[in-house]
Amino acid sequence: MTKPRRLYIFTGKGGVGKTTLAKAFTRCLLEHDLQAAYVTLQNQSLGERNTGTKDSKVDGIREISLDLEDAARGYIEKKLGSKLIASWIVKTPFFRALVNMMPGFSYLIFLGKMLQLGADDPRLILVLDAPASGHALTMIESTTNFQQIFESGAIFDDTMKMLSRLNDPEYTKIHVVSLPSLMSWQEAQELRAGLIQRTPVTVDITVNNCLYPLLEENLDELPAGLREKALYERQLVSEHRDQMRCVLPHSLARDTALVQADLLGSLPNLI
Amino acid sequence: MTLTSKSFEIFCGTGGVGKTTLATARGIALAKAGKRVLLITIDPARRLKDLLGLSGDQVGEVVPVEVIGVKLHALLMSPEKTILRMSQKYQKPDLATNRIVQILSRPYGGMNEILSLVEVQMQFETGSYDVVVLDTPPGAHFLDFLESLSKIRSFFDQNFMEIFSYLGQKTAQAGKKVFGRGIINRFISGGVRKLLSYLEAVTGGQFIDDFIQAVQIIYQSKDAFMKGLSLQDRLKSPRECNWFLVTSVEQGKASEAIELRSHAGHFIHQDHFLVLNKCLAKDLETWTPTDLKMKAVKKSLTDNEQDLKGLLRNVFPMVLEFPEVISLSPIEHLKHLTEKWNSYASQS
Repeated sequence: MTKPRRLYIFTGKGGVGKTTLAKAFTRCLLEHDLQAAYVTLQNQSLGERNTGTKDSKVDGIREISLDLEDAARGYIEKKLGSKLIASWIVKTPFFRALVNMMPGFSYLIFLGKMLQLGADDPRLILVLDAPASGHALTMIESTTNFQQIFESGAIFDDTMKMLSRLNDPEYTKIHVVSLPSLMSWQEAQELRAGLIQRTPVTVDITVNNCLYPLLEENLDELPAGLREKALYERQLVSEHRDQMRCVLPHSLARDTALVQADLLGSLPNLI
Repeated sequence: MTLTSKSFEIFCGTGGVGKTTLATARGIALAKAGKRVLLITIDPARRLKDLLGLSGDQVGEVVPVEVIGVKLHALLMSPEKTILRMSQKYQKPDLATNRIVQILSRPYGGMNEILSLVEVQMQFETGSYDVVVLDTPPGAHFLDFLESLSKIRSFFDQNFMEIFSYLGQKTAQAGKKVFGRGIINRFISGGVRKLLSYLEAVTGGQFIDDFIQAVQIIYQSKDAFMKGLSLQDRLKSPRECNWFLVTSVEQGKASEAIELRSHAGHFIHQDHFLVLNKCLAKDLETWTPTDLKMKAVKKSLTDNEQDLKGLLRNVFPMVLEFPEVISLSPIEHLKHLTEKWNSYASQS
């Protein structure tokens, strides 16, 4: 087994099975006697539906759901040494506009919070269920953007630190999740190419929910459309297998927990 | 069920469900029926480019295209180009040259959704089109798009005045002209000064100055943004706008579509459609597997699809189903989906 990283980012378009995969992967880390938590980011802008950061155990997995306002307040509090002032600042319309208008500012705040979690507990591995693909790029880009925007100040120094952490191949690994369709595959490759341009960490593609492994023994009896689908998936996978870290079959299980259990065997591959 | 074309047709939904292809097919179907159609996509993946064969230097420009023998216009959103058009149209040269405004209008910047609305409004105002088909960015972006309407309003809102009162004192005349609001402002600006001094400790002083200048420049183009905002009323009108929420069987995200529906509920009127793409049902019906394992596969696929349809029909008044098109050629996809749109239009 490869040496585990500290931060795993699962990214890809909505509905490709990112959440199920990220949760199953967290479980897989736990089964390898590692400490891991599944992380989601709640809101992208300040001032709406503030639900607070949650840190709880769900079905034996530690789930951390980060809240943007909490994370921003925490950071400012640390810098200025006052909870009161920090609470006031994050509520002001000016600060809200600043965070909401700046591309990736929210990710900068979230990233800072995650790296802090990692620093507080040196054994904890974070598995991030990142928002849809465009956003994953923004997230990686945000640190570079902000170096250009802030030319000085505490946040500049912190951004530099964050950047070196995030771009450390020993610290971070990115998994792009795709479906076995041409469009999804092309998008995953585009995203991977975009990420590789911006960061030296490993970026792997996992193809999820493949029907063909279940159908290929019985191709002849399938209705035409389904047969074509199976053949087409198989062709796509065989053509690009060398660029796919992991190919996961469709699970017949109806229940999410059982789907996760189905996946477990293939996942050590993603560590 | 009625599906008549409207001035605005908006496609929203999660990514990777074929939303862009469906929107393009809708545009083609309408153009084929004799409408003058402009198709706008603000999807950052710019997949439309591949489908329509548009090259890189045309991004951000309206271009005439011909797909499967049908002529229409297409525009791939580029926030930069929109800013440029705005600055020319409303004669605000600073808007196009300010460093921070440029950063704000980068892809994924906070101004993307606002700018796309402004763009739709500017394009429709030319009177060259009967229908503007808008393909919005996927997933969480969809909510951003809807919420950008309130974001833009709050940006130009009274609450925000406090910062401008401070600007009035700190910077040029321009600020004062727009924001001179007397004694109350001077009172608030004490708080603002304190806020800025705290923020400077975190972000550095230069940045605060730059950002304030950018805000001021944006504020001076208030009218242009407010015009984009006025589009909101038209998008809310069932007479003027169709909303299509797209999801797919493959990705089975009923929960997400339902969530979108409930969040968007205050914004979208009743005349909206749930579009369920990549349906396998027709194919599955004709399949009579003998072997146990295959029976299980058929049951699993059929149940998934039926459950999804059941859930969606409970929540959405109108569900449009599109079959899975298995083909490597995007043109084949467009042909099939365009026909399906036509069949829905002729049913009504």
